[in-house]
Amino acid sequence: MVDFPQKSQAVIRHKPVEIPDPAMETLHVTIKYGESMAVSDCSIKFQKNRVTAIIGPSGCGKSTLIRSLNRMNDFIDGFSITGQVMFDGVDIYDRKADPVEIRRRIGMVFQKPNPFPKSIYKNIIWGPQINGFKGDPDELVEESLTNAALWDEVKDRLNESALALSGGQQQRLCIARAIAMKPEIILMDEPASALDPKSTARVEDLIEELRKHYTIVIVTHNMQQAARISDYTAFLYNGDLVEFGVTKRIFTNPDRKETEDYITGRFG
Amino acid sequence: MTGDNSGFSSGLKRRRKIENIFRIISLTITWVSVIILLVLLTHVTLQGFQRLNLGFLQNFPSRFPDKAGLKSALYGSIWLISLIFLISVPLGTASAIYLEEYGKKGILGKFIEINIANLAGVPSIVYGILGLAIFVRFMGLGRSVLAGSLTMSLLILPVIIMAAREALRAVPQSVRHGAYALGATRWQTIIHHVLPASTPGILTGVILAMSRAIGETAPLIMIGALTYVAFIPEGPMDSFTALPIQIFNWASRPQAEFQTVAAAGIIVLLGVLLLMNAAAVIIRNYFQRKYKW
Repeated sequence: MVDFPQKSQAVIRHKPVEIPDPAMETLHVTIKYGESMAVSDCSIKFQKNRVTAIIGPSGCGKSTLIRSLNRMNDFIDGFSITGQVMFDGVDIYDRKADPVEIRRRIGMVFQKPNPFPKSIYKNIIWGPQINGFKGDPDELVEESLTNAALWDEVKDRLNESALALSGGQQQRLCIARAIAMKPEIILMDEPASALDPKSTARVEDLIEELRKHYTIVIVTHNMQQAARISDYTAFLYNGDLVEFGVTKRIFTNPDRKETEDYITGRFG
Repeated sequence: MTGDNSGFSSGLKRRRKIENIFRIISLTITWVSVIILLVLLTHVTLQGFQRLNLGFLQNFPSRFPDKAGLKSALYGSIWLISLIFLISVPLGTASAIYLEEYGKKGILGKFIEINIANLAGVPSIVYGILGLAIFVRFMGLGRSVLAGSLTMSLLILPVIIMAAREALRAVPQSVRHGAYALGATRWQTIIHHVLPASTPGILTGVILAMSRAIGETAPLIMIGALTYVAFIPEGPMDSFTALPIQIFNWASRPQAEFQTVAAAGIIVLLGVLLLMNAAAVIIRNYFQRKYKW
């Protein structure tokens, strides 16, 4: 660990990045678990149809932050949030907002692949079905699996258990499951960290494809990955948003010393 | 020797010796209980086997040992066990789901948890007294199969609830999160994913509880199940007798012939128990194969 003050007084050389058309934004979000602070006063805009990466060392609050974007933290005891998370003109933590509806429109892919212990087909169609999907299920399954670059591998065994797939295939199935819901935003919490390099490359290719149609927010502790796949990068440290900007600029010319230390691998 | 062993005195001989002694003690204890069980079974089988025939299952009880049968007790037990199953499994599972999935894990939750564990240890005769006061007298159900089943359900509910909670807790949190993230409500998550995945565990608890219920005698005597019944219960409000009561009745008679009848009854009771357990284990294994994480 390098010793430096929590908020250095470095001169900000770059103007705040322009996000012309945000799909979602956090406004002064502060998150606590009981008494301990996980994220403090964080304001980020997530640009539509772009990939925004959240990077930072372990325990910096990046998972907490991304899970607060579709209210997946609601299940954790002691969780409390102040500030606003604006999505489609409303604060998703407003009393009138329904978390179930929000999670339908904002999909999520988790760190560890978590397919349901059911068939591949059922894994895809379950979400749409419980949300009253009226279209042709076969078509939706094929479309979702195709878009997740998994169709060719599984088209002959759709009725087999999803647990028989490899880890990388399971993760792509989880992505297919998420896009079957036609979400507006896809949140990915370290989606490749449990995968081998080859599977990781496939997931990264997939994200590259998906960004044409979806707004993607991805948490990663792999800086090369963030540099490769994201358009914007937010660097979190100790629960503070240290720096946010265009990925290329963050990685080549960071304003803050903490960011530079982290991306050059001096700590983290 | 390459390492420096000066700081250790291994005492390996002594440790091995202790281990051996412990192994022999465990082995002896295990065999003693198995042998006692075998002796009992052989004794019962030798005594009752010649009395066992189709007529024994088809006859009503009689004061003549060679005519006595346990038709009414067998049917009474089947009635009991079916009603207990219908009452206690939905109630027990629902309570477990509430406590595990919906309830807040606060002081109240802890309080309920401790009390359920305590209830599992209450002597069965106490449940009999409770059943007599509430179901037989207060609710006016009389000495019916229904009253008996309700009393027995109370008795085994704690066991089912505790086993079901364990089973629900064993379902990985990631499955729930996967479902929530697709816009599922808690109920949809539970009914489609959590409950099916925990079925093998819940069934294990149900098997144990049912086995206990079919052998329980004290609460049934307390609520006044009859000892001489020459008819088959035709509805939940009919009076009844059950296998263990019938066996107890025969065994307490002075005539030696009735001891043989009692032994035959025990064989039937054990047979019913084994059949139930086997069926439940088969069902459980079927579900277990379906859900491998």
